[in-house]
This record gives sequence, structure tokens and C-alpha cells, in this order.
Amino acid sequence: MRGEPILEVKGLQVEIPVEGAVLRPVRGVDLSVSRGETVAVVGESGCGKSLTALAIMGLLPRAARYTCERITLKGEALTNASPRRWRQLRGDRIAMIFQDPMTALDPCYRIGDQMREILQQHRRISSQAARERSLELLRKVGIPSPEERLSQFPHQLSGGLRQRVMIAMALLCEPELIIADEPTTALDVTIQAQILRLLREIQRDTGIGLILITHDLGVVAGMADRIVVMYGGEVVEVGACDDILSRPLHPYTEGLMRSIPVPGQTKRGDLLGFIPGIVPRQVGERTRCGFIDRCPYAVESCATGPVPLSAVGNGREVRCAIPAEKRDPQAWNRLAEAS
Amino acid sequence: MTVAANSAAPTIDRSMSPGRVALRRALRHGSFWVGGFILLAITIAAILAPVLTHHDPTAQDLARRFLPPIWADKGSWEHILGTDNLGRDYLARLLYGARISLIIGLFTVLISGVIGTALGVAAGYWGGWVDLIINFVVTIRLTLPVVLVALVVVALIGSSLSLMIVVIGLLLWDRFAIVVRSATQQVAQREFIIAARTIGSSTSRILLKEILPNITGPLIVVASIEFAHAILLEAALSFLGLGVQPPEVSWGLMVSEAKTQLLFRPWMVAIPGAALVALIFAINLIGDAIRDVTTPEGRA
Amino acid sequence: MTYFILKRICVTFLVIAVTSVVAFLLVHLSGDPAAAMAGEGATESDIAAVRQLYGFDRPLIVQYFDWIGRVLQGEFGRSYYLRMDVADVLADHMPVTATLGVLALSFALLLSIPLGVLAALYPNTLIDRIALWLAVAGQALPSFVFALGLMYIFGVYFRLLPISGGATWAHFIMPAIALGYYATPAIMRLTRSGMMDVLQSDHVRTARAYGLAPWRVVVRHGLRHAIIPVVSLAAVQLGFMLGGSIVIETIFSLKGLGYLAWESIQRADIEVIQAILLVIATAYAFLTLLADLLNAVLDPRIRMS
Repeated sequence: MRGEPILEVKGLQVEIPVEGAVLRPVRGVDLSVSRGETVAVVGESGCGKSLTALAIMGLLPRAARYTCERITLKGEALTNASPRRWRQLRGDRIAMIFQDPMTALDPCYRIGDQMREILQQHRRISSQAARERSLELLRKVGIPSPEERLSQFPHQLSGGLRQRVMIAMALLCEPELIIADEPTTALDVTIQAQILRLLREIQRDTGIGLILITHDLGVVAGMADRIVVMYGGEVVEVGACDDILSRPLHPYTEGLMRSIPVPGQTKRGDLLGFIPGIVPRQVGERTRCGFIDRCPYAVESCATGPVPLSAVGNGREVRCAIPAEKRDPQAWNRLAEAS
Repeated sequence: MTVAANSAAPTIDRSMSPGRVALRRALRHGSFWVGGFILLAITIAAILAPVLTHHDPTAQDLARRFLPPIWADKGSWEHILGTDNLGRDYLARLLYGARISLIIGLFTVLISGVIGTALGVAAGYWGGWVDLIINFVVTIRLTLPVVLVALVVVALIGSSLSLMIVVIGLLLWDRFAIVVRSATQQVAQREFIIAARTIGSSTSRILLKEILPNITGPLIVVASIEFAHAILLEAALSFLGLGVQPPEVSWGLMVSEAKTQLLFRPWMVAIPGAALVALIFAINLIGDAIRDVTTPEGRA
Repeated sequence: MTYFILKRICVTFLVIAVTSVVAFLLVHLSGDPAAAMAGEGATESDIAAVRQLYGFDRPLIVQYFDWIGRVLQGEFGRSYYLRMDVADVLADHMPVTATLGVLALSFALLLSIPLGVLAALYPNTLIDRIALWLAVAGQALPSFVFALGLMYIFGVYFRLLPISGGATWAHFIMPAIALGYYATPAIMRLTRSGMMDVLQSDHVRTARAYGLAPWRVVVRHGLRHAIIPVVSLAAVQLGFMLGGSIVIETIFSLKGLGYLAWESIQRADIEVIQAILLVIATAYAFLTLLADLLNAVLDPRIRMS
């Protein structure tokens, strides 16, 4: 039934030891997805959103390690799950779609072979049945002449088709959750819209949970039910999609919203808003607000200690010490002029 | 082979040239020291041979054949490593043999280095037809089996030390040409070369002053590889009897003369064999260390 | 793609042709072939007789084309020492060298590829160190020293293996190891670095993301890509082995082409020497051609263009 939680992650941390120090690109992230829900994880490059996804899937690079207070998939506690259990889950109960379909598929094997390999890894199924299931899914994602495609190599398909194939692969074993990491970034704008529409349809039909990772707020607007905004490895704002988009609470989210041109309002020659500065270095504990260097509202009290994520009602959470009333409306303009 | 254990990175003064930076890094590299030490020891032993032993490596004493080395029964300090089938002192032969190996290695590398570098730079800088022709020549060289060709030439002309050096030098330039060519191509694309051309520097000036200094890294690495290669080739030729001829001494020749004694006096094969291994090993270590410090990525 | 293959084949034949000229000149210009064949203690008239008998008095160009013409008809001349057709002599000796080469290469591959894969899977651990040290040791050991060492340990001390002759399979074990190990460092390093690269690739990440069994990820999606340059390298190494077999064959008394070359050089049997040079060079040229073709077939990126 709708609303039943599929994935719950609490306190996810990713650490990468480098010479003499420990990088912490992901700090204490909580994430949950329910059946039929699309959660968008939004942030700029370097904020840790992709690493969060890889950590959930157990696909972190060798040098990185992660810790987690709790992680449950449909009630099953996976905090101490064995690598073998994870291998069973990946591709079967959770599937991941990657950014660049050009390189994500193995160029040496035909599409049909790669799909069959996945099916036969997780199910006892004959080649014939695997072939039929693959065809069924290729049709479902809207690929024309699927029989031909099965015997083709990845390089023979266009970018958009390849991404559809990746989505089909993700659906092969009827997973409960799909994590899509920037699924449309490498595609043409027109194809982007098609792929997003496809994902929406599939979710509507199958009721799977979808985690959509992106840096593009435009993608989020039509797709997400909830938004999780990440900055500097931390979650800085959580809330319902329309709620956040109309009334962002965290200064970073505000900044993101301001940098999107609004059709009808933004005129040619207007300066697009931007957030001056760069992402903070990720070493060590936080001793003050992570956004302080770029925040237009920052005051001294923001530097006294780390800022916790606090709930502000209606399922909204925000990591900021300065309530809306205390914010100067001209602060952004001043910041833009100063840089 | 791990770098020295200090975790603090050395402060690199920005005014140091890449050569000095590389040298500094090399000096911190464990293999460089081990290899350098061994090579130095062998070189010094070769140079000081007359001091280290009063025996003449070619002096035969048929009354004192097959004396065992110091660690065996009946060994004596008079002949620390024993004597061979003609009563010649083994230690003396080992030390004087080192001279041959080092001399051959050095001079052949000079010859093959000059030929190979010239061809490589020409191919890499001018490209086009020049590159095509030189590539073809390199392919021909690679197609001919080196050991066989060397054997044939030496057998038909006659083997003297200088002839061997020339023959081996004329055979081992291929890797120089290949590596120098690709290094030159990379350097030639960089802006300062284009700048030098625009201000009208003559080609030879560009080649000598701009390109050559910038390909020394890979060049030295190849030189070390070919140094070892030349020594191995000479040893193989001498082993087959068509290299260094008696009364000259060579480690390969020593192994060859000792192989009939393998059953009862294995040390006679093992000693020159070990010397060869030690020398090649040292050269390889140094070459590895230089390669590690001159390539930015280093080892994966 | 076919254009590429045709071009490559033409170049190969051109290389073989030019190499044959070089081989011919080497043999005929390194001193006087007539004098060499006549041997020591031969008189002027003996040498002159040999010269006339073998046509060494003709202009070089004529001699060359005569030789090539005969070679193209399968006639390699006559060994003056063995009083046999060179073609027959070659045919007698070739199987031994071919067997030795293939066995040596197999040994090298069986040792280096798994080591390279393991070293890549567990970098900077014990297995990686062992692999790298093995590579270093392999490069520092001259083949004849290694061969004698093997002979002593396994042939003399432990009496496990025969040390001379080529009668049985066991006779080839030590020679194959002694000949093949020299290729191990290069193959192992290439496998290791190729695997390390491919294991970071996106499609391996995808394979892992779909929960495929580890061996599948490593072999089907990893090694399949990393092995491509190794195949080319292996073909080239086989070519080197064929040329370098002379030392091993003489040590172990294996009557192959190398052994024949050795004897013929000592006897100044010109026709045989020429023929062997040509045969080995041709084999090498075809092996490199094979390496390039395999590369083109196996590498999906080349197939695409």
C-alpha cells in the first residue's frame, strides 16, 4: 500500500582516510523513502549526494568506509548485513541507474546478454524466459523494435535509448526501490523530459520508491514528492516538494531557487542569482555552521558551534539558526554586489 | 617498494628545476639507494680489481686446478673463491669480468642511445614521412632476432671487444627510438615549443635546447633498461662462445666454462651467475626508481 | 575495418621482404662466405672453388633474387654440411622450437595473468608485493643462469626431470619454464595495471550494482577488457621467444631451430643460417600481425570505428 516505508537510513557517515587526515564527505545523513514516493536529493557537486547513494548500495570505492546507525529495507535491518546479503539485494530489491549510459553498459556484450546475466543472477530462469522478460521490459520503457535491440551492442544505441535500457535493466527483478543518480544530466534536454516522464509512469504503475539525485531543481519540480537538500555532506533542509519550492527555509535552498531563471519574470540581461564561494573542505568535525562562508545572513552566533537539523512542523526540517523573521531581504543583493 | 616512511611531505621550493625535484624524490626512494649501492660496489670492485687481488685472471696454474672456495673443505685464503679448470683464480676472474660487463654496458648504451635518440627525435618532431620511414626501420629492426643476428655477425667477422660493442650498440637502439619518439611528440606539442618557433629559433636550437632537456626522464629510464639488456646480451653471447674470447674474461664465459662442472662444483656456475643477477637487479632498481620519480602518477 | 586489415597485411609482407634483404646482406657482407665455408686451413684454390660452386662470385643483387626466387618456390637451398635440402632440415627442427615456444608462452600466461589479477584486486598487500618482486626477479635473471639453476635443482639434485634431449613431454618442462619466465614480468605488469584501470570503470560499477557474483565481475566484465593488450603482448613475446630459443635449446640439447642455428653458425653453413633468419623473422612478423588483428577483433572500441 502507498506510504509504507521501504528504505530507512539513519546517521549515515562516509569517511575517506587520506594522508594524515580523514575526509568526511557524508556526515550524519538521514534518508527515508516510502512506497510510491519520489524523494529528490538535491545539491551541487561535492555535497555528498552521490556518495550517499553509493554507500546505501554498498558500492563505495575501496578506500572509503561508511558507518550507519541504522539502515532498514522493508523492515529488514541491514546495518550489519554480510556482503553476500548485499549482493543478493543489489539488482533484485534495490536497483541503481547511473548518470552516463554511454559508459555504464559493458561495450563488449550485447544488451540481451547483459539483461539475461542480471536475471539469471537473481532468479532461476531459463534463457528463453529471460529473453521474454527482457523484451517485455524493453517494450515497457518504450524502446521500438526490442527484438533487434537485444542482439545489439551498447554503442549501437543512442544516448536516450541507452538510458531507457538502463531503466529496463533496473526493473528486471521488480525491485522495491530505484536510486537514480543524475539520470538525465548526460542527455539532451528533449530526451531528459522523456526519461523523466518515463520514470514517473513506471512509478505510478508499479509503486516503487524512487530516490532521484540531481543538482537540477528544474528536474525536481515535476517529479518529487519530497526534497532533501544537501550541502557540505549534511542534510540542510527537508520537506514536501511544493512546500520547499514555494517557501525555502534554508539560505542555501534560497540561493538555489534564486539562480533559476523564471519564465515570464526574468528578463534578458538580468543577472542570475548565484551563491558566491565554494564548497567547504570536508575534514574533521564541524565547529560552526557549514554554510557560514557563503551565507548572506550569517551572524556571529553561527560560528559558535555546529548547527543541528531541527524540525519546524509539517514534516519540514532545516539546519539553520536564523529564523525567517530575522533575515534581511536585501542580504542576497548585497552579497552579489560584494563579489 | 615503498617510499621512506616519513609522512611529512618534503617542501618543494618552487625555484627548483624539475630535474632537481626528481633527484630529491629519487633520493628518498628506497630502491634507488639499494640499487645505487650495489652498482657502486660492483663498479668500485671492478676499478680496484688489481688492488683487491694480486692474481692475474688469465694466469693458468695446472697444478692448482679446481681448488674449492674458502667455505668448503680444503679452501684457503690464497684463492678465496677457488680456481677454475685451468687453475685461474676465480675471484680475480670475477673482478676483471665485472670490468668487461660494465664497459660493454656503458659503451653500447652510448652508441645505441645516440642512434635511437636521433631517430626518435626526428620521428617525433617532424612527423609525417620522416616518422613513417623511421617507424618502418624500427619495425625491421624488431623483426630480426637480436641474439641470432649478433651471433651470425660475430661468428663471420670475428669477435673482439670493440666489435661486440659496435654490433650490440647497432642492435639495441629500438627502444630508445620508440620512447624518445613518443616523449618528443608530447613535448613538441607544448606551447613553449610553438613559442620558440614563432620567435624564429632555428630547428637545431629548438631540438637541443628545448626538446632534449625535457625528455631526459624517459631517456634515462630507457638507458638503464638497455644497459642491463646489453650486459645480458653480451653474457649470452659469451656463454655461447661467440662473445668475449679467452684470454679476456667475462661472466658469461665463466658460466659457460663452468657448466660441465654443474654436477660436482655448482658454485662455479653460481658465483658468476649471482654476480650477473646482482648487477642487473641493481640497474633495474635504479631504473625503476627513476621511472617512479619522473612520471607524475607514479605507481598505481 | 577490412581496409585496416588489408593495409596491415600489406605492411607485413613489405616488412618481411625488407627483412629478407637485411638478413641476406648480414650473412653475405660479414666477411667472405666462401672463406667461412671453406673453413680454416683452406687454400686459395679451395676458397675459389667454393665461391664458384655456390655462386658467391655473382653480384649480390643477382644472388639475392636468385635466393628469394627459390624461397618463394619452397626451395631454401642446400646445406653444404648436412648434404640435405635446407627445407627438409628446417622441417625436421621446426616442431621442437614451435612446441617449446608455445609451452613457454603458456607457462608465462598461466603464471602472470592470475598473479596480475590478484595483485590488482588486492593492491599493496602481500600478494601484490610477491607479484612485483617476482617481476623484478624475473627481469634480473639471465635465461642461461636460470636454466642451469633449474637443471641443477630439478635435474641433478632432485633428479625429477630429464635434462637433455627432447624425447618426451617431461623433457620440455624445464626448457619451457626457462624460456617463458622472461616474459612474465611484462605480462604480469600489463595485466595488473589494466585490471586496476578496468575495476574503476563505470561498467564494472554497474555490474557490481546489479549484484553480480564477484568472479563474474572480475572475469567477464573486468579481465575481458584488461586482457586485450595482453593478447597482443603475448603474441609479440612468442616472437621474441622463437628468436631467443637458441640459448635454451643448446643448454638442454633440444634439437630445434635455435640448436640448428647454433650448429650452422659454427659450421658457417650459409644457406641454413640465411634460411633460419628468414623463417624466424617471418614468424615474428606474422605474430605481430596476428596480435594487431586480435586487438582489432577483441576491442569493441576499434570495432565501432
